[in-house]
Amino acid sequence: MEFLGNIGLGFSVALSFTNIFYCFLGALLGTLVGVIPGLGVLAAISMLFPLTFHLEPTTALIMLAGIWYGTTYGGSTASILLNLPGTPANAVTCLDGFPMARQGRGGVALFMTTVASFFGASFGIILLTLFTPVIAEYALRFGSAEYFALMLMGLVAASTISEGSAIKGLAMMVLGIIIGLVGMDSQTATARFTFGSLGLLEGVSLIALAMGVFGVAEIIMSVRRVKATDIDPDSVRLKAIKPTRDDVRRSWMPMLRGSTMGSFFGTLPGTGPSIAAFLSYAVEKRLSKTPERFGKGAIEGIMAPEAANNSADQTAFIPTLSLGVPGSATMALMLGALMIHGIAPGPTLISDEPELFWGLIMSFWVGNVILLILNIPLIGVWVRMLTIPYNLLYPSVLMFICIGAYTASFSPLNVWMVFAFGALGYAMRIFRFPGAPLLLGFVLGPLMEEHFRRAMLLGRGDFMTFFDRPISAVIMALTGLILLWSVWGSEGVRQRRTDRASSARADQDPTKKSI
Amino acid sequence: MYRFDYTDLAGGMLLFLIGAGVSLVSVGNYPLGTLQRMGPGMFPVILGVVLAALGVSLAVQALRRTGNRPDVRFFSPLFVLGGVMAFALTIVPFGLIPAIVSIVVISSLAELRIRPVSLVLLCIALSLMAPLVFVVGLGLPIPLVRWPF
Repeated sequence: MEFLGNIGLGFSVALSFTNIFYCFLGALLGTLVGVIPGLGVLAAISMLFPLTFHLEPTTALIMLAGIWYGTTYGGSTASILLNLPGTPANAVTCLDGFPMARQGRGGVALFMTTVASFFGASFGIILLTLFTPVIAEYALRFGSAEYFALMLMGLVAASTISEGSAIKGLAMMVLGIIIGLVGMDSQTATARFTFGSLGLLEGVSLIALAMGVFGVAEIIMSVRRVKATDIDPDSVRLKAIKPTRDDVRRSWMPMLRGSTMGSFFGTLPGTGPSIAAFLSYAVEKRLSKTPERFGKGAIEGIMAPEAANNSADQTAFIPTLSLGVPGSATMALMLGALMIHGIAPGPTLISDEPELFWGLIMSFWVGNVILLILNIPLIGVWVRMLTIPYNLLYPSVLMFICIGAYTASFSPLNVWMVFAFGALGYAMRIFRFPGAPLLLGFVLGPLMEEHFRRAMLLGRGDFMTFFDRPISAVIMALTGLILLWSVWGSEGVRQRRTDRASSARADQDPTKKSI
Repeated sequence: MYRFDYTDLAGGMLLFLIGAGVSLVSVGNYPLGTLQRMGPGMFPVILGVVLAALGVSLAVQALRRTGNRPDVRFFSPLFVLGGVMAFALTIVPFGLIPAIVSIVVISSLAELRIRPVSLVLLCIALSLMAPLVFVVGLGLPIPLVRWPF
């Protein structure tokens, strides 16, 4: 009964006029950003992040979440019509989506991926509703040692698994934690790394960091590279979207398998929607009786990954909301939005802020229905969006970034920070250092330091405190395994083997398009 | 193709310098405390050492493999970051609209060709849209135009 009461509470929050409006706004902007290649989800969220200062925390989160899952819906459009993934999570959809478009079945592909997205998202939301409270209740027993271990595992996994060199990921994670140190030390009120600046006492602004490293750096990389293309908007008229009976019959099982795999990988730190989409494509190809159809417009090849990435989008909220440990940079931004409003993330979130938690989750239903409406009848509008020239787009985005940074505290210091982090972000692209671990480290760093110092105090200065307690010991052991596996596997063996092939491989990996 | 992976070599050395710098500044300026009662300096020192060690191992690995020339651009970062800088300099003394015009004009130069008509239209459109969204819509107190002299 309590469960139904919570659902009812959630819907009463999610269905208020303001929340529906901001949910719509988030979904709309998310679709827009997803459709346009060269504008990533992190850039979009950080661009709109300053708005959340002026909103209620629940409304703010509803909007940010709408952008997040909206991009995955929209991202398939560019994949199918242009063979350019709108977001990295949609990269595999190109493999069979683009051939379908060339066979004149682009409309069917767009319609069916929207259905798969909705199916996957619904699957994810149901799991999220069922499991988050259970995990949070279990986590109430955790002390500082467990928290430190858990955050360390989340960070290490996210830095080493996702992409490229494990050492670079770990280094960026540490650098992020160091940037998070700037400002007043919460326990002794010592000013650290402020170099006498009063403005820096409050610390580095999350907004400026995210907008600089992801927004500005992304623009610098994309200028004179992203080209608007002309496609015939008539090819995706509403008439041309009706799937055949065979399409529907072939789609059920891939959708179900995709959603299951997506939900699983969504909850793990460092994996997320892109990996879920890739793996579910591989599984479909292996299970298929006719694997030769894959890559030539097989409908299973778009249904499974699109269901997988959308369910992963939703289940990514499980660790974020139940433990306060985000698994990806986007989830770190969501936590940041909570913390800016003074809400402490962690297992007490659900009992302390039931309106926020249940309202947010139920808003996912609202948002996904809005996306269904936005994507099916309005598909022609989105296709036209693809023809906006980048030379008009990027100065506008840059302007919004700067105004957003300025209005976050009405001080040009934040704009200067955007400048500095834009430069850092570009340098990181040159050195091929990943940005996501930096942001995760930055958000989790202060919490980690607090728990680390408290655990050491309680453990009388003995590091064994992390290994004496059973839960923390298991988590630390897992972290050690992840470290060993990734450092040994990626640097030692794989590197030497790919030495010879490295030049050939350099620019072909579609996932390399940064987040 | 180079004999060593110079990109990673430079990146690793840079990380080493940052890590060493962070540790030295922390040791010099903030009390370390004991392991049981950590001062504000302990955590940064540990992090600095870890970062420096990661930098060294990246640099060492770079010596054992060949590398490609990194794709470094000069004009794109110059104009895009220049636009952000112009915004930071103009927003307080001159107000919102001059700041918008300066960031749009300067960052557009990164295209390395000037389209006067579309640039003027874009400036006008954004100068109308941004005040409408931020000042009228969200009610934020930003002066549109100011004259400091």
